[in-house]
Amino acid sequence: MATQTKASAQRDNPKWEMVVDLDRCTGCQACVIACQAENNIPINEESAFHEHRAIQWIRIERYWEGEFPDVKARFLPLLCQQCDNAPCEPVCPVFATYHNNEGLNVQVYNRCVGTRYCGNNCPYHARLFNYWEPVWPEDLRNQLNPDVTVRTRGVMEKCTFCIQRIRRATRGGEPVEDGTLQPACAQACPTSALVFGNSNDPDAKVSRLKTDERHFRVMEHLGTDPSVTYLKQVDVDG
Amino acid sequence: MGLTRRRFLQWAGATGIGAVVFNGCRVPDHEIQVQSPVQIPEDLVTGRDNYYATVVQGPGSSEGLLVRVMEGRAKKVEGNPDYPMNTGKHGLRAEALLQAAYHPDRIKTPLRRVAKGGPFRPIGWPEAIAELTRVLTEADPSRVVLATAPIRGVLADVTRRFADSYGARLVGFDPLDLTVLRAAIKRVFGQDALPDFDIARTGYLLSFGSDFLGTWLDPTHFARGYGEFRQGDRERGYLVQVDSRFSPTAAAADEWVYVTPGSEGLLAMAMIHTIVSDGLGDDAAASALTGGRGASALSAFAPSAVAERVFGETGGGAERIRKMARDFASADHAQALAIGGGSAGAYANGLFNLTAIYALNHLVGAVDPPNGGGLVFNPPSEEPRITAAPLREWKQLISDMRAGAIDVLLVRDANIDYGLPGSLGTREALGNVGTIVSFSSFLDETTALADLILPGNTPLEEWGTDIPDPGPGYRTVAFQQPAINRFNDTLSFGDALLETGRELGFGDQLPWATMRDAVRDTARALHESGRGSVTQPTFEEFWKRALERGGWWDMNATASAASAPPQLPTAAASPDLAGDEDQYPFFLVPYEAHGIGAGGFAHLPWVQSAPDPITTVTWATWLDVNPTTARELNLHQDDVVIVGAPNGRFIHVTVYVNPATPPRVVSIPFGGGHEHFTGVAAKRGANVLDILADTEDAETGALAWAGTRVRLTKTRTRVRLPKLEGDELAVQLPGEEVIEVQHVRR
Amino acid sequence: MNSRLIKIAVPVVGASVLLVVAFVGWFVLSAWWSNPPPVLGFGEGPEQPIAFPHTVHVSDAGLDCQFCHRTVSTDEAATIPAVAQCLFCHGFDKIDGRLSTSGTAQEELAKLIADLGEPQEPINWNRVYRLPDHVQFVHAPHIQQGISCSTCHGEIGTMQVVKQVRNLKMRDCVDCHRDNGAPTDCSICHY
Repeated sequence: MATQTKASAQRDNPKWEMVVDLDRCTGCQACVIACQAENNIPINEESAFHEHRAIQWIRIERYWEGEFPDVKARFLPLLCQQCDNAPCEPVCPVFATYHNNEGLNVQVYNRCVGTRYCGNNCPYHARLFNYWEPVWPEDLRNQLNPDVTVRTRGVMEKCTFCIQRIRRATRGGEPVEDGTLQPACAQACPTSALVFGNSNDPDAKVSRLKTDERHFRVMEHLGTDPSVTYLKQVDVDG
Repeated sequence: MGLTRRRFLQWAGATGIGAVVFNGCRVPDHEIQVQSPVQIPEDLVTGRDNYYATVVQGPGSSEGLLVRVMEGRAKKVEGNPDYPMNTGKHGLRAEALLQAAYHPDRIKTPLRRVAKGGPFRPIGWPEAIAELTRVLTEADPSRVVLATAPIRGVLADVTRRFADSYGARLVGFDPLDLTVLRAAIKRVFGQDALPDFDIARTGYLLSFGSDFLGTWLDPTHFARGYGEFRQGDRERGYLVQVDSRFSPTAAAADEWVYVTPGSEGLLAMAMIHTIVSDGLGDDAAASALTGGRGASALSAFAPSAVAERVFGETGGGAERIRKMARDFASADHAQALAIGGGSAGAYANGLFNLTAIYALNHLVGAVDPPNGGGLVFNPPSEEPRITAAPLREWKQLISDMRAGAIDVLLVRDANIDYGLPGSLGTREALGNVGTIVSFSSFLDETTALADLILPGNTPLEEWGTDIPDPGPGYRTVAFQQPAINRFNDTLSFGDALLETGRELGFGDQLPWATMRDAVRDTARALHESGRGSVTQPTFEEFWKRALERGGWWDMNATASAASAPPQLPTAAASPDLAGDEDQYPFFLVPYEAHGIGAGGFAHLPWVQSAPDPITTVTWATWLDVNPTTARELNLHQDDVVIVGAPNGRFIHVTVYVNPATPPRVVSIPFGGGHEHFTGVAAKRGANVLDILADTEDAETGALAWAGTRVRLTKTRTRVRLPKLEGDELAVQLPGEEVIEVQHVRR
Repeated sequence: MNSRLIKIAVPVVGASVLLVVAFVGWFVLSAWWSNPPPVLGFGEGPEQPIAFPHTVHVSDAGLDCQFCHRTVSTDEAATIPAVAQCLFCHGFDKIDGRLSTSGTAQEELAKLIADLGEPQEPINWNRVYRLPDHVQFVHAPHIQQGISCSTCHGEIGTMQVVKQVRNLKMRDCVDCHRDNGAPTDCSICHY
């Protein structure tokens, strides 16, 4: 009985985590665009890529291994790792970024004064700075998601695990059933490589997968304790 | 009076603060108004989100969508979890439909050219329909052509009925049409509809040239299966990609096998030879494929005879072919499956290649196997569909146009001025067409030449149905409904045809007032059948439920069995590349761009800004060159080269040094180089279709788009490619890998 | 130049400049900490395209807020009703009837009816309540916790023209959240 209560208490006090199965990922960019649509991310013009200032809360990194004919291209979807020991948090002079009790690394836009210390201290380059006032052509503004703030020039932004969806799903107070709450990227992912859930719920898929034998965390040796677990790609040497 | 310091400060203070008060306190105009619900249906309660199920079709794809709508505006596209093709998932192009609906450069009203070559003048819809009616009444129907992008479902029915009633010639257009694939499926399996591939339950997947995880047919649908193929309940599947280019599918594959462009069929035939001579496959199928003669009928394809032609300088002799054949036919794994398409079918011997590739399935029992995996056939569609006509037909049509034999050309999203090979001289031929009427939503190159534009709706604003092709293996009808009211003064293509049809007196053939009525008639027939996923006592209830679920499907309505294996040819067909090897040393293997496809999505900012998975390039057209080749030619990243084809045509493209590109191959993605097609697409990149030789597949007449050799000439210009990756090539550092890979021996 | 005039002019000009500066300073500071003071029309509510009188609907007719603002207890926004909803009561035939008597009321109702013609032009209501940037406010939980509408919106029933009565700066929100034991995690409102 006591254990049951404990388990349900853990479920009710969620810790949001994600698992990325690199064995499934095909690098198709569906998550990237889904995120852009959901989170009112400004359109990345050509110049943004030239200056390496494109804003993508989730991006697909591609790493080469070898050269033709023995060549491999590996894909790594990289988003804010929501580190439990986040390097970005202590360096913010105005406390614009902090860790909340759901395991989220929160960015408060109002507080942000744009020192960019946090971005510099993030080993994953997951934090992105608004170098320009985001502009949309007038008609395209109709698509903007009213649940998400449109950020202004001079503030840092990053993946929020679609906190607007979390807020919506948890508003009623009941525990969220596993699989019903998904950030835009996981919802779109055609191969279901992205799995999101409450790791305090021992029955959640994310809890099961994060201890899969293939698991690793990106740059774990830095001690960031990320909330995103990757599943190792298995390579078959024929 | 001199200005003292003190006075200056007083003024500056007053004016400075004043500026703050009277500027800083003013709220921007667009924020003062409560978000204005433009053209919002009045039954919608504002400020609350609604989800509408709809569907969007592509030439080989069908994605069921749920559109989140708030205050009459679409906010987000999500996959429809009920729809059997994509089951809740969606690709990047579907998401970007939002930007098509709200694109600032949409054609907002009907337009009419004041005089030939003059500017456009906005007109109202009554005038537009009247003008179209006048043009069609005055023209000789035999000299009228209706060209459209491929369509399925009710709209195809309406379009065909309109064309038939009037007597116009109806032609489908898609730059990369599926003619060869359809012909191969017909020849090898006797099926009219494209089959589905049960990738999830396949154990060994051999794919020839088909980038099924990137752009080929329905990537979202295939990716669903691929996820399970990799990490489902079963043993991890093994994927071999045979391709002359390193595609995203090749990147995902366990093994990428480079073959000389055009020799995919040769490799498949050599594998068949091995399987037949070693008795590894199904005996009855082996006998049928060889006409009862066994391996001796295929002696021309003995691995030792073809290995060099297949693998070229990369080595890997006959033994490699034999090993591939043995692996494929081995019983150690679950079901094996061979699929092919894309560049493998885009040579003069395209049909030969695809026939050989799909014939492999007969030998390993992959034709509708009882335990899943392999090919799943679809029931033939009862509803008409308009497929793209092969190049051969278009060549004839263009020459008719040039000769002045076409008086009226009606086009709907068939951008022939952009999409046909440049050597055909389409622009000049279109100049000899009396009147061009366009129904496109955007000012693409062909629409820019039009005399009258009746702008159509975007997919999220339209009524329609879709019968997916390929389907999920059983009869499926998806319903497309407007998730948002039309945002500009546009009219759906179907409604424009129905209205014009009424004016012309085709009421008998086109008995519907609107497209909605036509869709309801389709639904009524499904309701009366009393079968399938939605059954309701009354039609109105059925209609409501079917629209809510996004469609209707009947899992018991499956296809007829495949026909007996055909006899295979005894001699190889040549890929017949344009240009000789000395003057044009490189194979040009172009490919459908990951986002913008063959150019049809180039107007959408999200799609343009989505990095190519392999090169991470955005917003541009690039040339993939092997690093060694680049060194030999003294080419560097971002150098602009002239890519010249044997027909004398050339384009300027920027070099991307790609470690995975084979030494004698160069690749350019389709889709760039638009002249018009909104400010997003115009004057960006280069159009590789412009330089392609007009080579046809010998049997079907489809464009052999990979059948051109080219030469490269370095220029002094450099243009930096906009891309996600840094200026240094991103590689995994040994011992410090970002991605920790576990190697297992097979 | 007349030095006597300068002697008078300088203090007068100086004093008035000082006065202006003081006024502006007071204005800016109070706007900063709270709402702009009710001068120069700042305390007034905006004029609306249809002069909708809450006095008539709330005080006279006695309608509950949620009769029109239907989603307030379930959703983010209270929502302004669609025109169709107005016509639940103001049916076409009732325009001249007992629901509207004065001449101005008829004029305003005529505007409402005009919106139902083709094309269906929306009514562009002007925003009354404004929150600071980067804040998400959700009505539903507040109503569900039994906070009455008037806590933030004041006595709407007495307002001919609706205006913002509470500054709704962060201090205002956080004070109330603390008093009522509501969560004060930044990410509850800021996302």
